[in-house]
Amino acid sequence: MLRMATRVATGLILLIAVAVFVFPLYYLVVTSLKTKAELFAAVPTLFPHAPTLAPYFSVLVTRAMSGLLMNSVIAGLSATALALVVAFAICYPITRLPVSRGLRTFVLNWALSLRFLTPIAVVIPYFTIVRAIGLYNQLPALIFVYALFNLPLAIWMLKGFLEEIPLEIEEAALVDGATRFHAFRTVLLPLSGTGLLAAGIIVFAFDWAEFLYAFILTATPKAMTFPVGVQGLVTQFEIIWNDMAAGGVIAIVLPVTLMLFARRYVMTGLTFGVIREK
Amino acid sequence: MSLAARARTNWSARSRQERLGLRLLLPVFGTVLVIATIPFILAVIRATTADDGRFIGIDNFTKALGNTQLYESVKQTGVYAALVLPTEILLGLALALLVHRTVKSVALRAVIYVAAMIPIVIPQIAIGVVFRLVYAPDYGILNALLGDTGHNQILWLSSPPLAMLSVASVDIWQWTPFVYLIMFAGLQTVPVESIEAAQLDGATSWTQFRHIELHYLRPLLLLVIFFRIADVLRVFDHVYVLTGGGPGTTTEFLSLYLYRVAFRFSDLGQASALAVVVMAAMTAFYTLISRFLPAEKG
Repeated sequence: MLRMATRVATGLILLIAVAVFVFPLYYLVVTSLKTKAELFAAVPTLFPHAPTLAPYFSVLVTRAMSGLLMNSVIAGLSATALALVVAFAICYPITRLPVSRGLRTFVLNWALSLRFLTPIAVVIPYFTIVRAIGLYNQLPALIFVYALFNLPLAIWMLKGFLEEIPLEIEEAALVDGATRFHAFRTVLLPLSGTGLLAAGIIVFAFDWAEFLYAFILTATPKAMTFPVGVQGLVTQFEIIWNDMAAGGVIAIVLPVTLMLFARRYVMTGLTFGVIREK
Repeated sequence: MSLAARARTNWSARSRQERLGLRLLLPVFGTVLVIATIPFILAVIRATTADDGRFIGIDNFTKALGNTQLYESVKQTGVYAALVLPTEILLGLALALLVHRTVKSVALRAVIYVAAMIPIVIPQIAIGVVFRLVYAPDYGILNALLGDTGHNQILWLSSPPLAMLSVASVDIWQWTPFVYLIMFAGLQTVPVESIEAAQLDGATSWTQFRHIELHYLRPLLLLVIFFRIADVLRVFDHVYVLTGGGPGTTTEFLSLYLYRVAFRFSDLGQASALAVVVMAAMTAFYTLISRFLPAEKG
């Protein structure tokens, strides 16, 4: 009897937790499907009475935010590629070669310490640099800063993956007379595929979500990213709720989809490799 | 066998390989290190020179540190941290224990696992949008659910004590699942034998947690605190969307204050001084707490 009561109680608690958790997201999606007329109902409605995709059309086409979406993708992909290449160049020696323990620890700790750097403190001098060298309101400025800021994550994730590839496999190739570069290219690189992909997805998702740097370093749709555009919808004089919600949904869809693919690695990435999915 | 131990068996090979390692590592890492340090140096230079390039010493620093608004924003950040950190940790831990003890279905656990990851990967800006739809007056769904849409509806985002709570609640909504996931992962590492032995000895649920599970969770709790502090100190996006730091400056956290000085008042001299102080303080703080970190030291 008592057991039954505990079960019901825990079920109830979990149900409430799920409801509190899901409801705001549900309401976001619902709002993004409402017509303009429905927005001005005296009491906000919980279901769209005449579901429409018009807000999405309005955001992407009328407000031309598809261009910002494109900027986000370009900046994200380029920054991810750059971060992965640099991270790999740093992780290869510290995991495959006998680099001194002190140096290795220094590199890893330094990378972790970047996690503590407050972006606003960095963007203040960076803003001056970017203006001075003529990169203000240009995507390369963003690509560069995104790559630098996601480097720690990329380093720690790749380090974890590379450590799991046995040294013996590469050594076998070396013994057979292959050069180190050849062994790297034909043995290690193919084996690192999964790790690179996983780290790439997580890093890309972070680039995609970034707001502050893009907000300060860009000014026009030429280089603005999608999150900056979404923020613009929020603070406009008259708030168009359904467009704003549609913008929110669009911003959410991509990272959530990527997360579903890379779900085994999300926590590994967020905790710098401490939590490992078995 | 560790790399070092392996290499010790062959001294000549080791020194050759070690040289190769340094040759590969140092150019790349050195460049990154320099690039990452440049903003700090430039901030120091900018903070100590006037607009016309004259050296003005520490004037900007005294101005920045003499501004009471700075301490106000530090205080608000502290209040925010004091609200969100304990709540997220206790709630996340409680939920992890609850699911760990009562949900045995593998499929259900997998569903919870994926669902809990959703808020973590949502861009902060979108989180701001989501909660504007919840808390805003007139259109916000919370007041509608409370049956309040008239003139005396609750102003969740624009009345002083409430705005802080609303903004904090968003953080709690987004990051409790993160704590949950880490704690749940930690609970899976507790050896079944010790739990079974404890239960044979008649341990209650609480003693089982207090004396066995907590022992395994302690390093992870430190990890959670580490990452959450790093995030709380930089919080900007969702607050900017929800309150913009207001009403007044009641939710103006450190990042929002620096933003205002640099880009609203365009006082780049003072802002650079602030940036230097914040970067130095964060580095010191990191050095202080990183020694407690369970993360592998390399």
